[in-house]
Amino acid sequence: MNNASSSGRGGRSWPSTTSVSGSGKRIQKEMGELHLFPPADCSAGPIGDNLHHWIATIIGPPGTPYEGGIFFLDIRFPGDYPFKPPKVVFKTRIYHCNVDSSGTVNLDVLKDGWSPALTISKVLLAIRSIFLSPDPYNPQAPGIAHLYLVDKTKHDEIAAEWTLRFAR
Amino acid sequence: MPQNTGLLNVKRRNDVVVEKSTQQNTTEEALSERTGESELPLSFAGTSAILPSPEIRVFAQSNSSRDLRKAMVSDSIISASIPIASKEFGKKKRANRTAKLKQCKLDARREQWLSQVKNKCFKEDVTESGGDRHSMRSKIIHRFKNLEIRRSNEEENDISVHHDCDFESPANSPTSVGYDLGNNFVGSSSCSNSSSSFGGGGCCSGSVTEEEEGGGGGDDHCLDDWEAAADALAAITVDKQPQKHCTESSAERNVAVQLVNPIGSSNGGNVAKEKVGTTAVNNRAWKSDDAFRPRSLPNLSKQRCFPMTTMKHCVRVLNPTVSVPKSCPICCEDLDLTDSRFLPCSCGFRLCLFCHKRILEEDGRCPGCRKPYDSNPIRLARSCSMFSRT
Repeated sequence: MNNASSSGRGGRSWPSTTSVSGSGKRIQKEMGELHLFPPADCSAGPIGDNLHHWIATIIGPPGTPYEGGIFFLDIRFPGDYPFKPPKVVFKTRIYHCNVDSSGTVNLDVLKDGWSPALTISKVLLAIRSIFLSPDPYNPQAPGIAHLYLVDKTKHDEIAAEWTLRFAR
Repeated sequence: MPQNTGLLNVKRRNDVVVEKSTQQNTTEEALSERTGESELPLSFAGTSAILPSPEIRVFAQSNSSRDLRKAMVSDSIISASIPIASKEFGKKKRANRTAKLKQCKLDARREQWLSQVKNKCFKEDVTESGGDRHSMRSKIIHRFKNLEIRRSNEEENDISVHHDCDFESPANSPTSVGYDLGNNFVGSSSCSNSSSSFGGGGCCSGSVTEEEEGGGGGDDHCLDDWEAAADALAAITVDKQPQKHCTESSAERNVAVQLVNPIGSSNGGNVAKEKVGTTAVNNRAWKSDDAFRPRSLPNLSKQRCFPMTTMKHCVRVLNPTVSVPKSCPICCEDLDLTDSRFLPCSCGFRLCLFCHKRILEEDGRCPGCRKPYDSNPIRLARSCSMFSRT
């Protein structure tokens, strides 16, 4: 993990932008940066030896119905990362209008809004931001979005109950 | 051990003591202590109190360092080599001895200093005992500076001596000479070879303190101040250690001035401060090709240059101001010269040519601003890089 930050040094190695090695170097660098500057309430790292398969945790921010919950996410980096976005799936059940029952996240930066300049750290922060402010107008779970718009108190009660039940 | 043999021992060695080094007296004291006789220890105490001063005075006047070194070394070795049966008595005696030694050395330094002052016609300052503390201090500081400058040639020897003493005495006998040297020569013992300035400073501060005490009517606070100043000076000298210019007299004067400043004397303080500042600046800014530059410092040229070393000079000359990332933010490979000159988007987001080509093949938007790339990317100074290659 330590050599991740220093791997950019040394002589010019002829860059092979073919998928695997290029993304490997990039992912290693992101891992080093995550280790050095972890974003608030977030942590992430590879599962085992596979650099392209990570697990991440986000702690539910205080002041939200998700407070106190620990939400696990499964991150898979495609072979042509960072030209293609990583696939992020919630492994912990969550009552949220932008996350469906299978854990798929509806987040712009993970789809069309992806840019190769984004990093997994920024993705995690974006996911944390939907905890604070759900987007019911681009819902992944329309029923929850409807309840959120109609009766937010009830929505928060259910969300807090789910957090207590699944995320602790 | 039977009493009579102990007496014999003591008597026999007493003769030797008078001829030999003063320091052996103290070991004789330890021996005589074991005999338990009342007469002999008293007489020895008398001799040991008197004897050390001539020896050290000789050193002080001739200013020959090797004598002192010999004395010190022989002292520590002998005192350590003699087996002492009753340790608590030995310790007490040692404490007495160090106190005596300290007193004698202070006397010696006072004399040494006095003789130097006589040569320099600073006698009137010494004899003046009245006046407030500030004027006294400023005078003393003045003298001190002059002494420093004049002693600059002799410093080297002194330093080696003090260093040796401090190094050897703790190894052989921890309590023998340690206190006096340790107190006054902290700087010299910690600065091994580079700075010779503080040895003189510490020595002179000791003598000056004595003088002030005698002249100013036993002002205890002055002594404290001077000791504190000496400590500060030691810290300063340790800081200065990497700089190799301390042997110059100017550097010494600066050290003396730095000793002055915390005390707060009024006259000449500003000038002195300025001097210190300038020299500090001059000494601390290392040029990359400086011969004295420590090797542990990072290599600036290496940090700035690009991996292709043949072109680094050209790059620096042509494009000195623009900050270019070292590696491509997309693929994390190092940017070569062509890549670093490649500016495909007006937003300033740089990336390597390979990633740029790949993005053009897919969605064709700049990763930095998400605007579509122009069909004709701006290639800054492309001709320059071609020119430098030929």
